[in-house]
Amino acid sequence: MQTKILLDEEQIPKKWYNVQADLKSPLDPPLHPKTQKPIGPEDLSAIFPMELIRQEVTTDRHISIPEEVQDVMRLWRPSPLYRAHRLEKFLKTPAKIYYKWEGVSPAGSHKTNTSIPQAYYNMKAGIERIATETGAGQWGSAMAFATMLYDLECTIYMVRSSYTQKPYRKSMMHVWGAECLPSPSTKTNAGRAMLEKDPDTPGSLGMAISEAVEDAASHSNTNYALGSVLNHVCLHQTVIGLECREQLAMVDDYPDVVIGCVGGGSNFAGISFPFAGDKLTGKHKDVDIIGAEPASCPTLTKGLFTYDLADEAGYTPLLKMFTLGHDFVPPSMHAGGLRYHGDSPIVSRLVNDGVMRAVAYHQSEVFDAAQTFARTEGIIVAPETSHAVKSAIDEALKCKKTGEDKTILFNCSGHGNFDMSAYDAYYEGKLVDYEYPDELIKESLARIPKIS
Amino acid sequence: MKRIGFLINPIAGMGGAVGLKGTDGNVEEARRRGALPLAQNRARITLSLLSHDKRLDFVTCSGAMGEDALRETGIQQYQVIYHFKGESNAQNTRQAAQAFLKAGVDLLLFCGGDGTARDIFDEVGRNVPILGIPAGVKMYSAVFAIDPVTAAELVAGYQIKSLRDSEVMDVDEEAYRTGELKTRLHGIARTPVLPGKVQLSKQIFEEGDEERAKGEIARFIHEIMIPDVLYILCAGTTTDSIARALGVKKTLLGVDAVKNGKTVALDIDEKTLWALIEQGQEAKILISPIGAQGFILGRGNQQISARIVRRVGIGNIIVVATPHKLRETPVLYVDSGDPALDAEFGDSVLVVSGYRMAQRKRIYQVERG
Repeated sequence: MQTKILLDEEQIPKKWYNVQADLKSPLDPPLHPKTQKPIGPEDLSAIFPMELIRQEVTTDRHISIPEEVQDVMRLWRPSPLYRAHRLEKFLKTPAKIYYKWEGVSPAGSHKTNTSIPQAYYNMKAGIERIATETGAGQWGSAMAFATMLYDLECTIYMVRSSYTQKPYRKSMMHVWGAECLPSPSTKTNAGRAMLEKDPDTPGSLGMAISEAVEDAASHSNTNYALGSVLNHVCLHQTVIGLECREQLAMVDDYPDVVIGCVGGGSNFAGISFPFAGDKLTGKHKDVDIIGAEPASCPTLTKGLFTYDLADEAGYTPLLKMFTLGHDFVPPSMHAGGLRYHGDSPIVSRLVNDGVMRAVAYHQSEVFDAAQTFARTEGIIVAPETSHAVKSAIDEALKCKKTGEDKTILFNCSGHGNFDMSAYDAYYEGKLVDYEYPDELIKESLARIPKIS
Repeated sequence: MKRIGFLINPIAGMGGAVGLKGTDGNVEEARRRGALPLAQNRARITLSLLSHDKRLDFVTCSGAMGEDALRETGIQQYQVIYHFKGESNAQNTRQAAQAFLKAGVDLLLFCGGDGTARDIFDEVGRNVPILGIPAGVKMYSAVFAIDPVTAAELVAGYQIKSLRDSEVMDVDEEAYRTGELKTRLHGIARTPVLPGKVQLSKQIFEEGDEERAKGEIARFIHEIMIPDVLYILCAGTTTDSIARALGVKKTLLGVDAVKNGKTVALDIDEKTLWALIEQGQEAKILISPIGAQGFILGRGNQQISARIVRRVGIGNIIVVATPHKLRETPVLYVDSGDPALDAEFGDSVLVVSGYRMAQRKRIYQVERG
């Protein structure tokens, strides 16, 4: 009974897969926040290196991964694919459950898959310092690790509620030599304005992005890096799905269902885009691709598909995506990495086109699922990841009802070793089931006279 | 140094054990039936936990109304500033509360039931925070700690910044003895709150103070209000914040109606309300859970009768409450007087708790519990 399906180091993907090549029509372009006209490369060059700008817009199907980046990735890639025998047995399901374990990276999640190439391209472009934001701290620690490898300085704006809630993520960033500040901070105009308006604000990812972008735009030696949402980030994460496809082929399998949790969309994109490509090109038309998000921040299930700002202060381009509004501050729930008002434009487009779908879960039910997973497979997952676990369990239980032996694959994106206070709260019965009151919002929006 | 006004209603709770459902005006009958004083023992539990806290300075009443319990638990920093003779009664409680108010206490700690809470609130109102050690027969008011031990923690950890609103309920004792529960919202006191016992949990759950939360709720409700719909604002400080955001008047304990940002009627009774919606006027009810147990209907908002709810529609009830309030009421209750209607509320309700944010809360249903 094989449990781990492993690739050799030589089988690390040599190319990223770009799903933009297989879209029926091009993505709607990002718009300039002031002129509302499509932006050009020069608009982005103040904060991104040219290679990443190229990767953002290219429709080439494959993009080569630099040798130097592959060398670093050998530290943890290829990551193992597990067959969840114990979970299957516990659920008494005829379904086969596989999970891709991304928690083996030094920072403990999938985020290093993009922090490494991003730091690399910035180093190549002669940049000396990176400014970035982090929600729960996963991205911040991944970027701290990557900038250390390429001798770059790094300043990380960490959402204030997580800064106090997850002190050890902050400690990791310090170990790898980065500076970590609670956002909103007094270091930027955006941060100062926010603090003046609301000194007790818990902060938000949108706010932290504004701060990091402002920092990068106002220092010539500094660039900005984003851990999710953007096309090049999703591109870098496709190593996850590409490896999965190889690993499943080794056991003569292919998924009927592919699942990931969704905040900005990058880990979900990573596991699903290669399979979405198979679906778009007609190779596997029936694969069901599911994004699992929190009911308190239900961007894909309750948001609008429209142009909106990616940050709170309005420094970023307008992106066509599912959004709850850039001024929406999600509640301080435990899955801090999923607290984002918008979503990846590519994921949004694929959901809008029906290539993928989304489900939303309450906090307490995802922790029930995380506990089941920890007590069967052993791994204590991050609260973000527990959304994917919940969805996988739900799908497996559906199979139990119908008797189908579907193959379910989900991205086990990171460990929860620094999230034990969240588990404590779960056991103390203190988890709050936040929910976005979309009926109230929609009803009022529908009846407000349109201003022409 | 914190100055604590402390009083015991020595007869509180005596009626309960002997089936009297309340002790007011029934002390002799309770004694005849063999009732023993309970309140002293309950108060001693709290006081003994506070006996080593040098930061506390008590002012109290003579004998059984406070002094005895303080002395017996070894508390030395106290001063008797109110004396009474004979059997204590409601008048003594009121006079003692007055004396505490004059002495400038930071917190009024009492041991008693709903009747005691009401008497104290009538004297001190919102000028002094009130905290009850539960000892009465009926405790529908939200000023009580869940038990004497928690009361001690709340006194020890009390900070002027961490206060919440708590309803003081009026229970009709005569009706209660005949098996009928008639409660009315009597007033809204201020009560200390512990933000969270565990440090880490505190950081996770701290969402700013009550006022901030109410402001967020009000901002959201203001944003989703629809023209030409009649909004029925029920009692409480959360709905009061909504009225303030709209710039209209609100009676704190009454039910008011608002349409197109203007007051239609203030402090309306059930009949007047019915007249407003009878002809098919589209309406929404903005309501907050009331009392220690968290009743959406049936306690303190009697104007919202079953026929009103049916006419407006359950789907048009918008429940609002601050995160603090919701944390203390894990389950909400509905008691409209019509069990079939109560059942229609289902297993859970969405409670608006912030700006564009709500919490899914369980509703107690008789069959399932």
